[in-house]
Amino acid sequence: MIWEVFRQAKTGEYHTHCGNVHAPDREMAKQFAAIQHGRRKPTNSLWVVPREEIGEIGSDEVAFGGTTDKSYRWATAYNTTGTDAREVVESEDEQATAEKQRGDD
Amino acid sequence: MMDLDTVKERAGPREFSPADDLPREYREAATRMIEFHANSEIMGAYLERPFIRQSPSIDRKLAFSAKVQDEIGHGQLLYRAAESLGVKTREEMLDDLANGDGKFLNCFHYPLKSWVEVPMISFFVDGAAMRRQATLRRTSWEPYAHAMDKVCFEEGFHVKHGEDILKELMTGSRKEQQLTQGAFEEWWPRIIQFFGPTDDKSTHHDFAASVGLKQQSNDDLRNAFLDQYIPKARKYGLKIPDEPRIRERDDGTYAVEEDDLDWDEFFTIAKNEYEPGLGQINGRKQAQEAVDWVCETIEADAATARGHEPQAAD
Repeated sequence: MIWEVFRQAKTGEYHTHCGNVHAPDREMAKQFAAIQHGRRKPTNSLWVVPREEIGEIGSDEVAFGGTTDKSYRWATAYNTTGTDAREVVESEDEQATAEKQRGDD
Repeated sequence: MMDLDTVKERAGPREFSPADDLPREYREAATRMIEFHANSEIMGAYLERPFIRQSPSIDRKLAFSAKVQDEIGHGQLLYRAAESLGVKTREEMLDDLANGDGKFLNCFHYPLKSWVEVPMISFFVDGAAMRRQATLRRTSWEPYAHAMDKVCFEEGFHVKHGEDILKELMTGSRKEQQLTQGAFEEWWPRIIQFFGPTDDKSTHHDFAASVGLKQQSNDDLRNAFLDQYIPKARKYGLKIPDEPRIRERDDGTYAVEEDDLDWDEFFTIAKNEYEPGLGQINGRKQAQEAVDWVCETIEADAATARGHEPQAAD
């Protein structure tokens, strides 16, 4: 049985996928995950999830974010005057980065 | 179970997660705070929803529908973060909201009547919300902080869009400018009250701060908001009303004379007893009842839904 492993480096951070292990049950999966994925890299917590419990939807099946021009829902589409609050600037920067990484239009 | 002193000692940013066995006082305080936040997202979305239809252009209509969709999504994220404390289920929170027991932001109790009022919510109130939410990325309940990461990422668009509407109105006809100034005067005291009562009148602040749930006091947040948004309002040609009186400190920052604000109205609203606001609560209740059959159908159908073509919302 395959278990997908998610590692959290520090308290408060996200659990992110880091690999998978073979194990007959949840207890063994936790032990194997701890040894394979928690031994070197900084680890605060690990999740193990049976692979067959995971649902997946991919970009070959759907167009994530739609197929029409949706520039209106990005902060970068609006020109305003004066200095923005720093949390607004931060959000706009995050959006600009995400928009760039999307790589399409 | 972790005792309260240990909680207070450890209470740093994103410190506690569902893996921790936390005392009831912490879980109840966090539930109250996050449920209030979630309810506010939903009630804000319902307040703005009519303006999808009333938008003056197709661009505004598209942006508004995207924004309302975002806000409902924020409500869903936050109900999950609240639910993960194990005190109340999402169904209980939504039912309380429908029954008039769920609490939410003062600004969303006032009817929104015309387009010139829209930037009062979508620029000033959203700007105020962003200020507060940015600090909550460091809250001690990890699922709440994670929800704030996504909310803050999306919210920049809302504020910029709202500001763009304000700019358009304030560079429009003289009549548009006058009506916008009128709306600003009506909303300004409510916007200032967004941050709640002053620190000495705040019921829940001390405990929430001591366990790291809340990161900044009402007064600090309100003043930080004024420092940023008074210059913005002036830049677009809005005149700041004489009341509440606002004092400019020597360092160029601002402080508000809080006795000039109507705290009786504020606390009536806080109890969900403000007459004009009942329409908002009941309106959402009716919407919930109207779509009950959809939820029932989906749940009844869940077993047979497998094998359908996958769909992603865009």
